[in-house]
Amino acid sequence: MATAERLVRSWMASEKDSEVDESVAGISSGQFTLLDIIKALGEFLTSEEDRLRMKGVEFLSSVLGRCPHERLNRQAIRVLSTFYCSKLEDLETIIPALNGLSYLVKFPNIQSAEVKDILNAIFANVKMRALVQSTRFFVFSIVDSLITSHRDTLKEMGSTFLAGYLNLAVGEKDPRNLMLAFAIARVVLVEFDTLAHIEDFFDITFCYFPITFRPPPDDPYGISADNLKQSLRLCLSATPAFGLLGIPVFLEKLTAGSPSTKRDTLHAMDICLPVYGSAVSREFGKKIWSSLKLEIFQPTDPDTEHSALNTLQALVRTMHADQSQDAVHEDSITGLARDMCNECMQALKEPEKAQARAAIKVICAFARANGPLSRFAVSQAAELLIRNFHDPDEVSNRASVVMLLTELIEACRGDATHAPISQSSHSSLSPLTASKDALLGLLIVSLKTPATCLPALHGLTALVRTPTLVADDELGYIVLEVSELLRKEPDEVEDVTTDTLALLSAIAGIAPHHLSSQMLPILFSFLPDVTPSRDATAQRAFYWRALSSLSALCVQPQLFETLVVRLIAKLDLLCAISPTRTFDQESTTAYAHAILTALTNTLDVKVSSKDVDVPKYAELLLPHMFRLYLDAALASSEVMAVAADPRLLQVGAKIIRLVNQTLNVARQEKLVAAVFAAYTQGDVKLITGGLLNSSTPFAPLYLNASPRQRNTFILFSSTIVSLRKEVRMPVDNLSTFLSELVAWSDNPSSTVFQREAASHILASNVNKHVDDVSDFLSSQLEDYSSSALKNTSMPAEARKNAISTWTSVTRALLVRSHPSANAFIDHLFELLDDNTVDWDAARAIGLLASEDAILTKRNDAVLKILHVQKYFNTVMSRLLEGAKGTKGSRRETAYLVALAYLINAVPKAVYVTQMPSLMPILLRGLDLVDPSIRSHIINTLSNNIDITSTDKDAVSMYASTLVLAMLKNCTYSEMPDPGVRAAALKYLALLPGTVRYDLLHPYKTRVLKELAKILDDPKRAVRKEAVIARTNWYKYSG
Amino acid sequence: MNGEIFNANPTVYASKRSTRKSKFEAGQSLWIDEQYQPELSSESEVEPIDEDEIFDLIRSIADPEHPNSLEELRVVSAEQIEMGDNHIMVEFTPTVPHCGMSTLIGLSIRVRLMRSLPQRFKVDIRVKPGSHQSELAVNKQLNDKERVAAALENSALVETLEKCLEPIGGPHSR
Repeated sequence: MATAERLVRSWMASEKDSEVDESVAGISSGQFTLLDIIKALGEFLTSEEDRLRMKGVEFLSSVLGRCPHERLNRQAIRVLSTFYCSKLEDLETIIPALNGLSYLVKFPNIQSAEVKDILNAIFANVKMRALVQSTRFFVFSIVDSLITSHRDTLKEMGSTFLAGYLNLAVGEKDPRNLMLAFAIARVVLVEFDTLAHIEDFFDITFCYFPITFRPPPDDPYGISADNLKQSLRLCLSATPAFGLLGIPVFLEKLTAGSPSTKRDTLHAMDICLPVYGSAVSREFGKKIWSSLKLEIFQPTDPDTEHSALNTLQALVRTMHADQSQDAVHEDSITGLARDMCNECMQALKEPEKAQARAAIKVICAFARANGPLSRFAVSQAAELLIRNFHDPDEVSNRASVVMLLTELIEACRGDATHAPISQSSHSSLSPLTASKDALLGLLIVSLKTPATCLPALHGLTALVRTPTLVADDELGYIVLEVSELLRKEPDEVEDVTTDTLALLSAIAGIAPHHLSSQMLPILFSFLPDVTPSRDATAQRAFYWRALSSLSALCVQPQLFETLVVRLIAKLDLLCAISPTRTFDQESTTAYAHAILTALTNTLDVKVSSKDVDVPKYAELLLPHMFRLYLDAALASSEVMAVAADPRLLQVGAKIIRLVNQTLNVARQEKLVAAVFAAYTQGDVKLITGGLLNSSTPFAPLYLNASPRQRNTFILFSSTIVSLRKEVRMPVDNLSTFLSELVAWSDNPSSTVFQREAASHILASNVNKHVDDVSDFLSSQLEDYSSSALKNTSMPAEARKNAISTWTSVTRALLVRSHPSANAFIDHLFELLDDNTVDWDAARAIGLLASEDAILTKRNDAVLKILHVQKYFNTVMSRLLEGAKGTKGSRRETAYLVALAYLINAVPKAVYVTQMPSLMPILLRGLDLVDPSIRSHIINTLSNNIDITSTDKDAVSMYASTLVLAMLKNCTYSEMPDPGVRAAALKYLALLPGTVRYDLLHPYKTRVLKELAKILDDPKRAVRKEAVIARTNWYKYSG
Repeated sequence: MNGEIFNANPTVYASKRSTRKSKFEAGQSLWIDEQYQPELSSESEVEPIDEDEIFDLIRSIADPEHPNSLEELRVVSAEQIEMGDNHIMVEFTPTVPHCGMSTLIGLSIRVRLMRSLPQRFKVDIRVKPGSHQSELAVNKQLNDKERVAAALENSALVETLEKCLEPIGGPHSR
C-alpha cells in the first residue's frame, strides 16, 4: 500500500515510464492491487485542479494498459468502468479516460451490463468533432474491441447502438481511423439488422468512394490507398440493401470519372453486383450496360476496357443467378440480355471493322459468365459468323471472320477449363458442340488460301486445345490437312511455319500417333540421304526447315524415340568413313551438324522441362554418339571422316552433357568409368556399347596421338563437367591427374579446342573436389606460377595459354568463395606490370566476374551466392588505385582494360554506387584503340544512364564530353567496327531523356547535322540506331 | 482538332512480321549456327537502303484518329513504295475518301522520312490515285517544300505530329 502511494507520488512529480512499469510489476506479483493504486490516486482523481485530475486518470490508464488481464476480477472491472464513464463527462479527463476504456474493453471479465454503460456514456458525452485524431482512434478501437468480443450485447442494444455509432463515425477523415471504421461498418452491415438506418450507413460509407487518398511520401502509418480501397469495397458489398442506393453512385462515377476512378468503380461493381442480387441488377441493367458499352466499344485504354468486360460478366452472371444451372432454357434469358446480344450481332455483321472486335469481346465475356446466356450468345454469334463466312459477297472478309471465331473458341475453352469437376459431364456439351462440324470445315477451308491461313491455324489450335471437343479421327484429319502446309515451298508460307508447328505440337500432346503415322514420315522424307551440293541453297533451306519442324514436334516421349532412331541412322550414313574424297566434306559436315543441332535443341527442351524419359538415352543414344566420333578419330588422316570435325564434336559434347545431367549418381558412375576405360586404357568397348571394333589403339592422352584422337578429348571433358559432386573420379590421385592434364594442355602441339576441353575438366574438378586437390593447388601456386605464368623466357603465346589455365582454376575457387582464390588473383595482378602479357592478365581479371558456361547449377557446381559481389569489392579498389597512375602509361592502360572488362561482366547493381568515381576513368578508356573495350565502355554507360538519372549529376557533368566522344565513335570513317558505332548511337539516343536541355542546347544543331551523315551508314543496324537517335534529338527541346 | 471523327469504324488488318532472312536462309552460308558462318568481311559489306527499310520506317506511325498504326489500317504498305536511284515514291491510301486527316498523315510520313533518310534522297509522297476527294490539293501540299516548311512552323501541328511519330520502329524494332 505504501509502495503504491510512493509510486503514484513520484510519477505525479516526474512522469517517468519506470514508475508505470514498477506499478505493473507490483500488481503482477500481487504486492498490491489496482484498487490500491486507485486509492493512492484518490486525491488527484478528485482534485479541483484540472491538470492534476487529468494526470491522475492518465497514470491509471497507463497502468491499466500494461496490467495482466487475470489480475482484474469482475468487481474491479465494474468499479473501473463506472469510474471511467463518470470521467467522460469531465472535459479535462476525457482523453485519458477514453484511453483507459480502450484498454479496459479488452479484459475478458467485462460484463454486458458494463458494455452497455460504457457505450451509452460514450454516445452521450463524446463529441467526435471536438477531439483530435489520436483520441478519436481510442473511440474506434473501443467499438472495434466490443464488436469482436461482445457482438451479441451490441445486437441487443439495437437501434441505440446503431444510431450512437453512426453519430460517432460520421465525418471521419483520417485514414488510420477509417481503416477501423470500415472494418466496424462491414461487420455491422453484415450481422446487424440495419434496415432502419440503411441510409445513414450508406452515407458514412459511399461518401468515401472512390478513395483518392495518396499516402504522404515518407508514409509514417503504412496505410496505402489499396488498403483503404479494399476495406471500403468490403463495406460497399456488405449488404444487398445498398443496391438501390449504390448503383446510381457507381453509374455517376463511371460517366464523370478519370480512367483510374472508372477502373476503381468497375472493380467495386464486380464485387457488389453479386451481393446486391439479381433483382437490382435487372432493374439497373440497362443503364449499367449503356455505361459499360461505352468503355468497351469506344475504349480509352486497354485496362479500363478489360475491367469493363469483367464487370459485364459479373452483371450477366448476377442477372441469371437465381436460375438453377440445370434448367437452362433460352426463354429464361431476360429481355435485356437479348438486347445486348442483338447489339453485338449487329456489329458482328461487319466482321472486318473495329466494332466487331469489341462485340466479340462482349460475347466472349458472356461465354465466360457460364450461365444460360453463355450458350445462347455463343451459338448466335457462331451461327452468324459461319453464315457470313459462306456468303460469297463477303469472301474478302474471311480472315476477320476466322479471327473473331478464334476468339470465341478461346473464350469457350476458358469456360470449360474453369468449370468445377462435378460439371465435367457438362463440358462435353461445350456451347460450341453444335457448331463444331461447321467450324472445323470452315477452318480447314481457310487453310487453303494464304490470306486466311494464319488465322485458321490459330483457330484450329484453340479448337484442339478445348478438352473433349474434337474427336480422335478429326485430329487425324486436321494433321493430314495441315501437313500440306509443311510440304509447300517455304516462300509461300513463310509466315505460318511457327504457327503450324504450334498447332501440331498441341496435337502431339494429345494424340501423338497421328503425327507419327502421318507427319513424321513426310518430314523424314525431306531429309536427303546425300548432302545437297554447295549451290543448292533451296534444298539446304528445305532440310533445315524439316529438321527444325521435327525438333519442335518430337518433344513427346514416343515421338522423340523415333526421332533419335531416325536421325542416328541418317548420321551413320552421312558420316561413313570414306577412303576417297568423293564428296564435298564441308557441306556434308554442315548437314550432319544441322541434324545434331536439331537433336540437341529437342533434348535441351526436354531436359529443361525435366522429362523423365531422358535418362534412358544414356543407353539408347550415347553409345551411338561415341561410336560415331571414336570411329572417325581412329581413322587414318588420309581418309575422310566427317565426324572428326571439331564443330561436330562440339554439338556431340553438348548432347552428352545434356543426357548426363539427368542421370543419377549410380548411372553417372557407370558412365564415367566407361569413359575413363576408353580414354586412359584405350578400351572403347564399354563406352560404345560394343559397337566399335578397331585395331588402331585409342590413346588421346598421349602427346604423340593423332590430332583427330586428341580432338575427341572434348567428349571426355563434357562427360566429366556434368558429374554430380558425389561422383568420385576413377583415378588414384586427383591432384596428379590434374597436373598431368595441365601438362597435356600446355604442350605446344595442343590446339585451342583441346586446351579448352582440358580447362573445363580442371575447373569442374577443382570446384567440386577442392579438398582432394590441395596438392595440385599448392603446386600451381608454388611451381607453376614461376615456371610458366611469370617465366619471361617462355614465348608469349605459351604464357597466354598459362594465363587461361590459371584463370579456369581461379574461377573454380572463386565461385565457391574459397579462401585460396585470393592467392591466385594476386598473381594475376602482378602480371599487370608485365609488358608481354599485361592485356591478357587484365582481360582475365575482368572476365573472372563473368558468367561461366561450365560451372553452373545444371552441372551441379558448388556456387556461393554473392560471389561476384565479393570479388568485385576486393578487386575494384585495387584497380581504381592502379588506374590513377601516370596518364598514358602502359600500366594505366592495363588497369583500364581490366576495369572495362570487369564492369561489363557484373550486373549493374553491383557497381552503381561507385559510378561517380568511375565516370572519368571510363571516359579515359574511350580513347583506347581496341573496339571491344570501347563497346564495353559505351554499353556500361548506356546501362547506367537510367540509374544515374536519379542522380543526374554524374552524367550531366560530363554531358558535353560524352556527346563529342560518341559522335566520334559513330562515324564510319573514324570507327570501322559497326558494333561500336551502333552502341555509340544508342547512347546518343538516350542522352536527351536524361540530361537537362540547357546543358546540351549548344550541341543540338551539330548532333543533328552529324547524325544526318550517319543515316547513310553502310550497315542497316547502325542506320536504325541513327534514326532513333536523330528523332530523339529532334524532339529534345527546352 | 475539331473533334469530328472522319471514320469511326475503320477496318483493322493484321500487321506482318519482318521478312528479313538469316544468312543461312539466304544461301550465304552452309552452317545454321551463326558462330561457324564465314565472316563475310562483316566490316566492308554494304547493306543498301531498300524498300523494306523505308517501310519499316513508316509502318509504325500512329494514326491520328485511332490507336492503330498506319500499317494496321493499310494506309501504307510495302508495295506502295518505289525506289529509284536516290528517288523514293511513297503512296498512301486514306481509309475514307473524305478523310480530313490525309494531309496530316502525309505530313507525318514526310517528317519521318526527312529525319531518317540521308539528304541525297528525293522523296515524293502522294495519295493513291482515286482514293481521296481532294487528291490534287493533298499531293500539292505534301510535295511543296515551302508549304511543308510553313506547316512545320505551326507549333500545335508539330505537337500532333510528334504524337503520331512517337513509336519509332514499333514493336519490331528491338
